[in-house]
Amino acid sequence: MPIFRSGEIKITALLCTVLMTALGPRIAGATLGEPEITVQSDVAQFRASIKSSEVRVGYRIHEIQLPGGTLLREFVAPDGNVFAVAWNGPTPPNLRQALGKYFDAMISAPKPKFADHRHLQIQQGDLVVQGSGRMRAGFSGRAYLASAIPSGVNLGDLH
Amino acid sequence: MALMRALRMSLSAALCLVAISCGGGGGSSVGVGSGTSSPPPAGNNVASVIVDQGPTVNGSPIGSVNTLFTTITVCAPGSTTSCQTIDHIQVDTGSYGLRLLAPVLTLTLPVEKLANSSNSLVECTIFLDGYSWGPVVTADVQIGGETAQSLPVQVIGDSRFPTVPANCSGMGTAEDTVIAFGANGILGIGPFELGCGDCDTVTHGIYYACGTTCAETVVPTAMQEPNPVTRFAADNNGSIVDLPSVAPTGAVTLSGSLIFGIDTQSNNQSGPQTVLTVNGLAELTMTFLGQPLTNSFMDSGSNGIFFADSNIAPCTTTDTDFYCPGNTLTLALSIQGQNGVMVNNLTFGVGNAQTMLNNNPSFNVFPLLAGTIPAGNSGTFDYGLAFFYGKRVAVAVEGNKTSVGTGPYIAF
Repeated sequence: MPIFRSGEIKITALLCTVLMTALGPRIAGATLGEPEITVQSDVAQFRASIKSSEVRVGYRIHEIQLPGGTLLREFVAPDGNVFAVAWNGPTPPNLRQALGKYFDAMISAPKPKFADHRHLQIQQGDLVVQGSGRMRAGFSGRAYLASAIPSGVNLGDLH
Repeated sequence: MALMRALRMSLSAALCLVAISCGGGGGSSVGVGSGTSSPPPAGNNVASVIVDQGPTVNGSPIGSVNTLFTTITVCAPGSTTSCQTIDHIQVDTGSYGLRLLAPVLTLTLPVEKLANSSNSLVECTIFLDGYSWGPVVTADVQIGGETAQSLPVQVIGDSRFPTVPANCSGMGTAEDTVIAFGANGILGIGPFELGCGDCDTVTHGIYYACGTTCAETVVPTAMQEPNPVTRFAADNNGSIVDLPSVAPTGAVTLSGSLIFGIDTQSNNQSGPQTVLTVNGLAELTMTFLGQPLTNSFMDSGSNGIFFADSNIAPCTTTDTDFYCPGNTLTLALSIQGQNGVMVNNLTFGVGNAQTMLNNNPSFNVFPLLAGTIPAGNSGTFDYGLAFFYGKRVAVAVEGNKTSVGTGPYIAF
């Protein structure tokens, strides 16, 4: 979570409220590489609810609570497109839904030489998918489009 | 930090002396720098285990790295003749339950039926890197001299259930062949009975009730695939992975023992072992570079040592999530259980992943293979199978008392 200076809190809260009002009911799961607003079908697909929306320097985050307990975070660039998704919870989200047209690139990627059942690292063109986790403890991961990351955004923030 | 810098400058000579010298254990290793060599301890509670090139498919070994295997015998429930022995079952202390790959299974085993609907119970097992779809069957399973009667077992890729629900296939790549899965099956013997703590009351997209179509379902705990050790008639409070040490450069194979029960027979006594209890997620704290990492774990199912250290160069051409330092590093680590017990002064080695593979392409044991941990897991240190090399590691199941503690715990 970002640390705001006290003067920014109200502004951020206000912005969040504006965003939630404008987009909240419709945005409950944007899809990687697609516009923020064109994703209403994902709400139904995930049977999800939006937990929070937040403005950070250089991008916006929508945090989505999936029915099984998993949190899905979607990162939206100033151009309005989703450039990253990240997840954390008992099971991964449906990646075909979250990755959209990039899902096929993920599953067609060659199996890494050091593959095991605990780590995922895929790089196919612009797409990067990373994850880790295990049974009972849960899973976390992320997918992003390397060329679409807004300038100034740190990879370490995408989780 | 000065200590760390100094440690990093010490090379493999120090590694030979420091990192790999702790512990004995039964078994033998083959290849350069073989370690302790003695026959595995005999007993009705012992199965042989080996780190090798993995199962053979179409005449060629699949080429495994740091993957521990054993052999089991599966029988139709109640039968002593309708049985099959299956090699290269992965031994995994990070999962729960026995899962077999349908392409190697010649038996047809009965599928579990849900009581209220007579629908078949089918599971979408998620191992992170994909999904494994198949029914939960029952079988009598023999491992070493132990038997679990009517054990719920998953059969992955069973042709009786060819249609994968979209919510399962949406997890990624299908892992329903021996090559895709990396083994003929997997034996999950972590420190709990079940892999899902609440699947009897919550659907997580894991279990499905299948009739003409499949729908997500809750499942009574007795129908879920348990850690098979918990279903043995005796020696059922945990297990011990006992592996000899191996040279830093690695080896072609490494053989040891999987011993069932803790303090139940003369060959599984705890003795002076140090007990580190784990939380409900099977996690404890490892302190690395001065940072306590509270979501850490030891895991025979991880093929490397995975942690974050931005000072170590990752590999550049392939396998960029693994480390490729210019010189072999020796790093310090401490491990603290949830019971507060701390093990200090551990060290582990990090070698150049590309160099070690290129130099010894026939090797399957690489104690210095290490890699990065993905962002978002900055509180995790995943100490994989290399942790078990040269150690006798006990995994006690939740709620079970031994002479030195109560599970869930890891002791060594």
